[in-house]
Amino acid sequence: MLTVSLNEIYSETYKALRSLEIDWGLAKDCANLSKWLANHDQYFLGSLLKTADLYKEKKLSVSIKENNLKKPLTAALMGLLLVEYVSAKKITWEGYLHSPKFMLASMSIIAQEQNISMVLKNSDSDIIAYTNKKNLYLDTNNFNNLTGYFFLETYDFNQNYNPLSIVLNQKTEVSKINSKCWDRLSSMAFETYVPESETSKSGAGY
Amino acid sequence: MRENNKKIQPIKPHKMRQPSKVMKLQRLGSFHQSKLSFTRQLINELQFNNSQFEISEWNIDQNGFGNAVIQTVFNNNTFSLVVFCHSIDDEERSDRVIAEKWDMTFSLFIGTPTKIELDLMSKNLKIQELGRHLPKQLTLSRANKSVRIFTKVLDALSNGEQPCKADINDIGYLIRTTAVYGNGKFGIGDFSPNTDKSVLNKPFQAEMLTVYLIRYFSIELINFLAEKKGANKSVKMSDDIARHLGVGNATGLGMAPFLINHQELIHQWINTRETAISRVLSIKSINKNTQKQIITYIEQAYRYTSQWNVDDVIQTKRIKTLNLDLKNILNCKQLNNLLNKNYPLKSLCDYFINKISLETEEILYSIFIEPFPQLIDDLTKQMGSREKKSVFVGYNVKEIIQIIKENYKWALNIDISSSDENYFFWYTSQAKLEPRLGVTLKDDGYQKQLPFDISHQVQKALKILIKLPENMTGSEAMINHPEIRNIIRRVIINKTSPYSEIQDNLVGRDMRPIDILRCKLSFFGASKYDPKSDLWTRITLFQGAPLPHQLQDENACDWLFPYLSDA
Repeated sequence: MLTVSLNEIYSETYKALRSLEIDWGLAKDCANLSKWLANHDQYFLGSLLKTADLYKEKKLSVSIKENNLKKPLTAALMGLLLVEYVSAKKITWEGYLHSPKFMLASMSIIAQEQNISMVLKNSDSDIIAYTNKKNLYLDTNNFNNLTGYFFLETYDFNQNYNPLSIVLNQKTEVSKINSKCWDRLSSMAFETYVPESETSKSGAGY
Repeated sequence: MRENNKKIQPIKPHKMRQPSKVMKLQRLGSFHQSKLSFTRQLINELQFNNSQFEISEWNIDQNGFGNAVIQTVFNNNTFSLVVFCHSIDDEERSDRVIAEKWDMTFSLFIGTPTKIELDLMSKNLKIQELGRHLPKQLTLSRANKSVRIFTKVLDALSNGEQPCKADINDIGYLIRTTAVYGNGKFGIGDFSPNTDKSVLNKPFQAEMLTVYLIRYFSIELINFLAEKKGANKSVKMSDDIARHLGVGNATGLGMAPFLINHQELIHQWINTRETAISRVLSIKSINKNTQKQIITYIEQAYRYTSQWNVDDVIQTKRIKTLNLDLKNILNCKQLNNLLNKNYPLKSLCDYFINKISLETEEILYSIFIEPFPQLIDDLTKQMGSREKKSVFVGYNVKEIIQIIKENYKWALNIDISSSDENYFFWYTSQAKLEPRLGVTLKDDGYQKQLPFDISHQVQKALKILIKLPENMTGSEAMINHPEIRNIIRRVIINKTSPYSEIQDNLVGRDMRPIDILRCKLSFFGASKYDPKSDLWTRITLFQGAPLPHQLQDENACDWLFPYLSDA
């Protein structure tokens, strides 16, 4: 296992995604979500690499309108945009999500920053996670990170939701991660760097 | 000094300067250090907390190789600067980020390192970016001796003489850092605004403390080596010379992306500075003592610029103009009248504004905020920022277009089809992950460019937005067009943080990266900018700052514009 800082997680993630020519905005969003998961002691790296692989194989959708079980919407890349979209329009979105744990990060971030509470339900309309007063509540028995059909909506304060466990805000300052996975991420990030040449040295000013 | 203006109550706040005026590269590149600079803030904190300093380990041999630990304790927190001094050949010594060996390597460590931790650092500090570092390390740094001066000073002290002041002033430091990493780089601890390590929850205080302790180490080292060399004949460096020594730094493009990537933070810095300027320009009257102080600071600035010598032709011209402007201000017969008028500092500004350069104008603002701690000191608390990860959902397409038209006029006025406005591109080099500037159509790497072509992105985003329904939410626009998310985020941030965007084309032919570096360095508290090209500069930090044993002296915190008498 390797110890890395949150800043390293952020920078290596967005660079790795940029190596796949993912738009800058989505790459940075995903980097922030990964950092959030790491900061809350949640595994993220395996899901992130899987997202990268599936994206490359065009098996993930970045469209909220076009997604299905075979080509679900990627929560890692679109999660933050999705929560912003749903809360701005005050609608319920439904569709297939890949790696829904990134939705937990997205919901929590928008709760913290914009005081917007949201609810995530599974295909049976059972609540598996919600945010309220900046806390994230999770049904740990029913939540897993498998691709599935989900409903995302803003929190209805007139409804009574069953109490769930608060996700412990274990703000770790460092992350212990699988070194092989990290090496893979780093090698992807490395592809965004330009090899040095004699002429490029002048671009450094020396 | 502080008591003279206890009862100042500004009336009719002076309007802050517009971002369209301030956020131009030429002006940003004319900023000087001030009371708000991070070096100044650190010294104030060290003084306020009655910080103590101790050399807890000294394993340096007579050749200057080995290791040391210097500790400081304040607010019940211990911080250790861990130092390793290495033997390298002269040919191996380089200021470049891609260097692989250095005379010294450092790290600021929280607490006292154990033997195991020291051992780990001994293996990893010397390889810097290639090593894995501990979360308790807050910074990672390295430095080389200033070959020109180090030997001269050592020879003088070991022979029982103080070093030549002209030489000291000419260089200004014994050692020069080539990087000071913080905030989680290479595995070190992340910057945390919520930390209970109270002094270090403000931006760059860990880095500044590192450099301050490096400065202390450099003086202790030279004194130690002089004693080893000269034995009873040797003398310690005098305090006035030691105080005029800072720590040099070679600042290159590595620093430039920061100002572009951290919009909210940069806004906080510049907004704070502009607020300070606005407050002092709003002062209705100042008493005789404060008038005298202002004149003294102008005189200090004049003497400082007289001792500021560089090779760069452009900067030499700017310094000469600055020096002459300050002389003219001091000799101006209206000076005392202006300071006696209502709104004296504003009157002074208005009188000289068309007669002085940008550098002079900005140095005057640094001077004006100096004598008013009761108006300025509270502002240092607002120079941090919690940068948001989500984009505010409250705007629709019409409003976003409006923001672009109002706040990004500068970007819309750029002809992005012109080759001159597409002259450069920014990228990261494989060599030590160093940011570099490439020339479009000439250098490799264009397809991997960093997204610093802000004006281009704005224009492309606007073309998309004007085709969308006006009442569509910004979020829906972005979810349907993720390619504009990056720039829309910037635009929305700029709405509430108007000083967050440099209002020049960062890929245009006329762009000088040195202006970006200088702006950031002014907030650090750098002095004696010594540009070596448009792409990098040498500077000095903590020149003129009190030494650790002087922190409790009267006026210890008063060290704007360092000057060495008889140099």
